[in-house]
Amino acid sequence: MTLTFLSQQWKAFWRSQNKGKSLAMRIVMGILVLYLLLNVLFVAFFMDKILMKTFPDQDILQTFNSFIIYYFLMDLIMRFQLQELPTLSIRPYLHLPISKNQIVNYLSITSLATAFNLTPFLLTIPFLVKVLIPQHGLGAFWGYMGCILGLTLFNHFFSLWLKRKVNLNAFWMLAFFGLLLIIWALEFYFNLISLSNISKDFFNTIISESYICVIAILLAVVMFMINHSYLKSNLYLDELQTSKTSVKSSTEIPYLDRFGVVGDLAANELKLILRNKRPRSVLMMCIMFMFYGLIFYNNPKYDGYGHIVFCGMFMTGIFIINYGQFMFSWQSAHFDGILSSRIQPEDFFKSKFLLFDVFSTFCFLLTIPYVYFGWKVLIVHFVMYVWNLGVNTILVLYFANQNYKRIDLTKGGSFNWEGVGASQWILSIPLMITPFLIYLPLSYFDYPEVGLAAIAIIGIISIFSREFWLRKLVSIFRSKRYAIAEGFRNQ
Amino acid sequence: MQRALEINSMIEIKDLQKIYNGVRVVNIPELNIRTGETVGLIGNNGAGKTTLFRMMLDLIRPDKGEILSKDKNVAQSNDWKNYTTSYLDEGFLIDYLTPEEYFYFTGSLFKLSKAHIDSELTNYTEFFNGEILNRGKYIRDLSKGNQAKVGVVASLMQEPELLMLDEPFANIDPSTQIRLKKMVKDLSAKKRITTIISSHDLNHVTEVCERILLMEKGKIIKDIATNSNTLQELEEYFSVLS
Repeated sequence: MTLTFLSQQWKAFWRSQNKGKSLAMRIVMGILVLYLLLNVLFVAFFMDKILMKTFPDQDILQTFNSFIIYYFLMDLIMRFQLQELPTLSIRPYLHLPISKNQIVNYLSITSLATAFNLTPFLLTIPFLVKVLIPQHGLGAFWGYMGCILGLTLFNHFFSLWLKRKVNLNAFWMLAFFGLLLIIWALEFYFNLISLSNISKDFFNTIISESYICVIAILLAVVMFMINHSYLKSNLYLDELQTSKTSVKSSTEIPYLDRFGVVGDLAANELKLILRNKRPRSVLMMCIMFMFYGLIFYNNPKYDGYGHIVFCGMFMTGIFIINYGQFMFSWQSAHFDGILSSRIQPEDFFKSKFLLFDVFSTFCFLLTIPYVYFGWKVLIVHFVMYVWNLGVNTILVLYFANQNYKRIDLTKGGSFNWEGVGASQWILSIPLMITPFLIYLPLSYFDYPEVGLAAIAIIGIISIFSREFWLRKLVSIFRSKRYAIAEGFRNQ
Repeated sequence: MQRALEINSMIEIKDLQKIYNGVRVVNIPELNIRTGETVGLIGNNGAGKTTLFRMMLDLIRPDKGEILSKDKNVAQSNDWKNYTTSYLDEGFLIDYLTPEEYFYFTGSLFKLSKAHIDSELTNYTEFFNGEILNRGKYIRDLSKGNQAKVGVVASLMQEPELLMLDEPFANIDPSTQIRLKKMVKDLSAKKRITTIISSHDLNHVTEVCERILLMEKGKIIKDIATNSNTLQELEEYFSVLS
């Protein structure tokens, strides 16, 4: 049965309408993963050297032992963030005479194929072969392997189980991170427990009594059973669908009301962002980016304006860049409705500008505290804010007209390549380069202030000539509208 | 005489063709829909009904020919949007809004105030059957039938001059079907709204529409004014065709 599922999944992939795109994406992703694994291998081969350098007065095996538990904690957090739930679209199978055990087994087994399960072995085997076997022999080695296998599988099924729980109720996520926080506090703040000692003691026992590794394997088996029975008892359509229905209220955004239809459109888009998973995660990214400056401004190595221009553009324009690059795909599900309704294309574009203006202003206000690093930071931020409003808005909307890729709003954001196409890659080039094309030559000849002024002036001119650009954008939109709508209809 | 006829026509199709992969999915040399007519569009799956709707709404580009709405080409002028409303499928709904928000939004495009829409909505209380308004749900959480209700009411409420509905009777329950028929009939009788409805239900279409267009493989092969024999005639056609 598992084989039948596999072959049907295989067909689903190869026969999907946009197979070319997803294949290319998978190859890119594959290369990326391969590269990361190579890095892991590199670390693994030189682990003994690295440990020796970092902790010169300790036995390297002891250091290694004390780190294992931290590694698996990190692994758990990483998995929680990045690992995907296995998705067999099970809906068509539930009503057929296929036992739930078979479906659940399929979900469990296929989920194992992830790089997360490979890394622990790649990372430890070379080290163990080099250091452990010569000292303590093969028995200890197999003991370690058993433990690592057990902990890896435990992490695997625990994170799947937790993710499913969190999907139904976000409280579980709080509980999980709360627990981690308590452990952290107990260890580093109150010094009541020491995970490194626990880890060290446990693996030292393994060295002498390698059969103890059964404990770790048992842990994994128990976790597997928990996950299995949880999945099995929840294999109902209504329960697999996420979101316990809470009452949704109709919110109004009074500020936007004064802009008429344009304001209504912008308010709708704001609701789009707040009420759907993928754009919400984009918004979270934007908030994270507000800390971007700390990386550079703290570092005395950077002086001059170049890095502030870069950071300032990203921090004040992150919404334009991050959200705007997928326009109008966000609205792909109801694009037919937009085209056939009484919305004028001019108003449609004006609402985008309004949205960009509001968010960029907000971002600029949030970056004001960076004035701590000097007034020039604030001034450059303002210049880049003007640049973003003037130039980048138009640039992003120009590329939005070339974007025909549908996006499913309900899917999560991380490692989601849906809707990513050539237009995003091409867009990033002018977005990154143009301000530097203006700034760098002038700063090279020692007129950085003139460079900044040039950026500001171009930004201001663009803002004041928006009407002109708007008409251009609308006329391109008119000629591209069939192609965009057609692309969005392809699920 | 010729002149008078032109003024009276709401939709005029000339030599319209749409070709996908070498197959002519729509091929209509000439079609006139007069103002105030209630037209039913029927035909088996793949006959080209939805494609025709989409071309009339300027969502896809015809390969040949043109569609005039009040004498203006729909692909070149936006005027038709001021008097046309439509509901083809869920792609017309903004599914992350609540139904109320959606009604207010579409109403605002026609400059209708919230108060006006609230009072309009009371007319549809029966039609909604308590399942749409004030339920605290987004449109995406409604059932297919209820989504269709939202879409249909949103397009009726604007009091358009031209109304297009693609299979409005599908997915909705029998009582609602009957109410919908009554609503459409009333609208066309009292306000002379031009209506184009497609359906697979021959009973409903013959009951509501005064003119039936029968499509097959992209062509309109029958154009009949409805009378007491029409239903039988259509049933005979479809039973032979299979």
